Amino acid sequence: MAIDRLAWRTLAARPLRSLLTVVGVALGVGVLAASLTLGAALDAAIDRTVSTMVGRADLRVSAFLEPGLSPEAIGTIVETPGVLEAAAVIERRTFLASVPGSPAPDAVTVLGVDPLTYPSLHDLPIAAGSGLTDPDEPVALITESLAESDGYGLGSRLSVLGPGGPLGVRVVGIVPGAGPLPQVGRTVILPIDTARAALAISGATRVDLLLEPGSAEAVLASLAARMAEPYVLASPADLARSLRASAAAFEGMAALVAAVVLFVGAFLIVNTLSMTVGERAREVGLLRAAGATRGQASRFVLSGALLLGVSGSLAGVLAGGVLAVLLAAGVSSATGLPAVVTPVDLRSAAIAAAVGVAVTVMAAIEPALRAAQISPVEALRARIDLPHISRGRLGWIGLVFIVVGGLALLAWPPSVAPAGGDVQAALAVYLVLLAATLLSPFLLRPLARLLGLPLAVFVAVEERLARGSVGRDRSRAALTLGSLVVGLAMIVALGWSAQAARASAFAWLDDVVPGDELISSIRPIAADEGIVETLAAVPGVERVTPIGTFGLAYRGQRVDAAAIVGADFLADGRLTVLAGERAAALRALDEGGAAILPSAAATALGLGLDDTMRVATGRDQFLDLRVVAIVERSLPGGGGEAVLVGWPDAAASLGVAGADAFAVRIAPAALEPTRDAVRRTAATFALESNPIERVQGAVAEALARVFGVFDALAFVAVIIAALGIVNTLTMGVVERVREIGVLRAIGMTRVQVMRMVVVESTVLGVVGVVLGGATGLAVGAVLLGLGARFDGATGLPWPALGAAAILGLVLPALAALYPSLLAARVSIVRALRFE
Amino acid sequence: MQPRASLALAPTLARPRTTDPENTSTAAPDGATMLPIIEAHEVTKRYQLGRTSVEALRGVTMAVEAGEFVALMGPSGSGKSTLLQLLGGLDRPTSGRVVFEGRDISRLSDSKATRLRRERTGFVFQAFNLIPLLSVEENIALPFAIGGQPGTRRDWNDRVRQVIELVELQGKERHRPDQLSQGEQQRVAVARALVTRPSVLLADEPTGNLDYTNSGELLDALWRSCQEEGQTIVLVTHDARAAAYADRVLVIGDGRISDEIVLGRRADHSAAPLIARLAQIGL
Ligand SMILES: Nc1ncnc2c1ncn2[C@@H]1O[C@H](COP(=O)(O)OP(=O)(O)O)[C@@H](O)[C@H]1O
Ligand SMILES: [Mg+2]
Repeated sequence: MAIDRLAWRTLAARPLRSLLTVVGVALGVGVLAASLTLGAALDAAIDRTVSTMVGRADLRVSAFLEPGLSPEAIGTIVETPGVLEAAAVIERRTFLASVPGSPAPDAVTVLGVDPLTYPSLHDLPIAAGSGLTDPDEPVALITESLAESDGYGLGSRLSVLGPGGPLGVRVVGIVPGAGPLPQVGRTVILPIDTARAALAISGATRVDLLLEPGSAEAVLASLAARMAEPYVLASPADLARSLRASAAAFEGMAALVAAVVLFVGAFLIVNTLSMTVGERAREVGLLRAAGATRGQASRFVLSGALLLGVSGSLAGVLAGGVLAVLLAAGVSSATGLPAVVTPVDLRSAAIAAAVGVAVTVMAAIEPALRAAQISPVEALRARIDLPHISRGRLGWIGLVFIVVGGLALLAWPPSVAPAGGDVQAALAVYLVLLAATLLSPFLLRPLARLLGLPLAVFVAVEERLARGSVGRDRSRAALTLGSLVVGLAMIVALGWSAQAARASAFAWLDDVVPGDELISSIRPIAADEGIVETLAAVPGVERVTPIGTFGLAYRGQRVDAAAIVGADFLADGRLTVLAGERAAALRALDEGGAAILPSAAATALGLGLDDTMRVATGRDQFLDLRVVAIVERSLPGGGGEAVLVGWPDAAASLGVAGADAFAVRIAPAALEPTRDAVRRTAATFALESNPIERVQGAVAEALARVFGVFDALAFVAVIIAALGIVNTLTMGVVERVREIGVLRAIGMTRVQVMRMVVVESTVLGVVGVVLGGATGLAVGAVLLGLGARFDGATGLPWPALGAAAILGLVLPALAALYPSLLAARVSIVRALRFE
Repeated sequence: MQPRASLALAPTLARPRTTDPENTSTAAPDGATMLPIIEAHEVTKRYQLGRTSVEALRGVTMAVEAGEFVALMGPSGSGKSTLLQLLGGLDRPTSGRVVFEGRDISRLSDSKATRLRRERTGFVFQAFNLIPLLSVEENIALPFAIGGQPGTRRDWNDRVRQVIELVELQGKERHRPDQLSQGEQQRVAVARALVTRPSVLLADEPTGNLDYTNSGELLDALWRSCQEEGQTIVLVTHDARAAAYADRVLVIGDGRISDEIVLGRRADHSAAPLIARLAQIGL
């Protein structure tokens, strides 16, 4: 007990250093807590999204064609053996008639439900008023968000516009929040027969099913055999899987960065505790002389560590909650999920705090053992022989971090992989960082010597003294420089990954879009409207090609597709063909009965070259498309890459009314003036023309949002590293008080003493930038799949290297502020008193 | 503390040039016309230690002339180090004046005091004088490097070689401090203090940590600088053998100068007369 109190008093005696360590632990734990909380919030958001979307249904059968599922098809579905409950639903976007004089309101989504069957599969809570009772009453429920934005309330009369003519309904109930379609929000819920009348639909747009347990396979097979019209299937598991796929890459990267931050935080702890042991060696020796056991000497260190760990972890959990809230926006836009963060996620907080305390205690083991080895005789010496001990210590530190890394891998979120890689990539990243850390003290002296040369021109004495001091204590240097190297390396690696992702997205667009300008339309434009001809007549335009995006129903799945003119793609040289004969394939599209598949879709659908893809086109109608080529990447569709078909098939059999985009290729000689002319011509058709670069810009922006979150986390690592520098420099000043006294006595000015500390910090920073840059490139290479994507387009991440260089120079300079003031304030007389 | 002795010697304090009855040789090589290099007038120094305060000096008046070798003796805690620090501008007196080469330095700003230390004085302390990571040569040249002293690098190198010879450390120029004996380390400190040809060399118990032989070598070096270069030296010591190298010994007790013993310049450094005098005043 007395030992514990002594340990705590020791920490209190050095408030700044203890505070820095607590902050370091807190930041590490905070980032971990934030990353776990975000992960939990993402999972919760996925579950919530899935359950609001499909409720208790096991299977959703949706119409593929515009008119919806026919009453006969609904009958077929309901009668399928294994179906326990079925609820037909209509979901369609339309408008409400506006009050005369007020601006036209935004679209609403009409949800037609059967009050008899819907509640058995979906919850429909009511915030005010009553629910629906009859299938054909002219009443409506509206969502709270619609009521608020458009000023409706109970008793309001709405006029629903639709093919069935305006239909008046009365609002009898309000559904809380955004209602059953959270992504839409503005929803009007009608009894299904009322909806049918308003929208002139005879059947439904989908049927949600509750199945007998274990009957799913049989139901799917039965549907495939009996359904006469095209349909699309979805199950909650599918939905959750596709949503999780987008979240997993994000969670993996966040976990990796959090692990790195914690790793850097652990450096700070080892560093602080080592310093404490060094400083308190005399006291520990005296304790031993007074009869304290080795165990008590170790306890002196462990007890202090525990206090630091616990207070840091508590602060970290709070910080993590704040960080999670701050990052939540970035996360939702990165994953496309509404991640409503619960700031106090107890499980995440508990795990992060436990990890924080565990890492602190692990980091304390080595200094604790060292404390136990201090002999009473050593206590009488002024200082312990540091270089003698440090070699062993470095090995120990390596061991501790290998163990920490091993534990981190065990706790690695399952099924989660960093940036599309796997656990091996995470391990490789960890090993690269560990190697860089353990090598850094050996590289420090030679690099400091080399990189200090330019400084030596201006501040020779300061440089000479700083250089000597910089590598005096190897393990301390390893920890201080190591954390800086790791932090900067993450900045470089993430910057490089972002750059590579952007470059590959740009390369994709260049590879597949046959134009310099892209004109898009919200309505399909038919071939006879003459737009292609008019645009092609603009001087300087080489080629105009129409593109129509749509969906195909293939074996109960919706597949993104695009109608293209094969000859134009051939002439423009787009598409990288992996299998098949390029020219023949593109010509085959224009003749009909052929499709070109992107390799991702070919794999997902299990189709190969020359296979036949039978797509449903209507009641008992099919179109057979032969796979004539497989390309590396294809045009972007609604959700993924599009299957390419020719215009004849699209127009005649697949119901594509017209093009929704035109790619315009311009002769390079007159690029800019022609662009303007194209834009003016497009405007006469009320269409907007955008340069392909603008499309790339949108892609880049989306990527920047995702990587912004990671950068924020990596930045925390650099901040922790800066705290470590403050710690180490301060310690250096304290240890060298006598030297500083001598220097001042022989005529060194205060400014020179301050400069000496700043130069030391700067040298550390410069070496950190060089090593961090190199390490970052190595980590980046691992993240980018070990050279798989090293193409000319990517290049080296100069902006990220620049950012790392600025951080690596500015933060150490700031970190040197306090220690340099401390050094300048050293009292000569007191420093020189010989006791 | 010997009130009897201080009383007996009080009148002589105002005139430091008194000759010792037992020694009739010349007191200083340059005669009596030189102005003092350092003078202290009624200097006091109080240290504040939280609520309490320590009066380390209670009114010291003394002077050191150019070329003189003066030793300050006294029991531990009597204020020797404090006085030396005030004389060299390392600290400021609480009251009284310290005049260095005719200029009052008792209220100097930190930067002016730094210049004074850099250009006019050299210090040697009891231990830890050297910067461990610098070689012998680098340690000795440090004042040049710090101060941007006038002269070319060549002049500096010549001077460094000269002082290395003076302290007899030829051949150890590239050694690090931890490769030297303590005596050698202290001689490096002396060389560094002398390298800028300061007006005065202030040494605070430089032999305090040394054995008999090493002490002798260090004192010989000090004496050579005094004899060959006309270096003014103020040496704080409690060792009579060290003090015997001096021309004059000031005894400090209870914060004041209590005795003065003039030995004159002697090549044999015999401690016998001094020990006899000290015994006489009860030290
Ligand atoms: N920096 C200081 N702070 C407080 N007290 C001091 C300080 N320096 C010296 N003293 C006190 O002043 C007195 C004289 O000290 P000092 O000059 O070191 O004596 P000496 O060198 O003769 O042993 C002692 O009592 C000492 O404790
Ligand atoms: Mg002293």
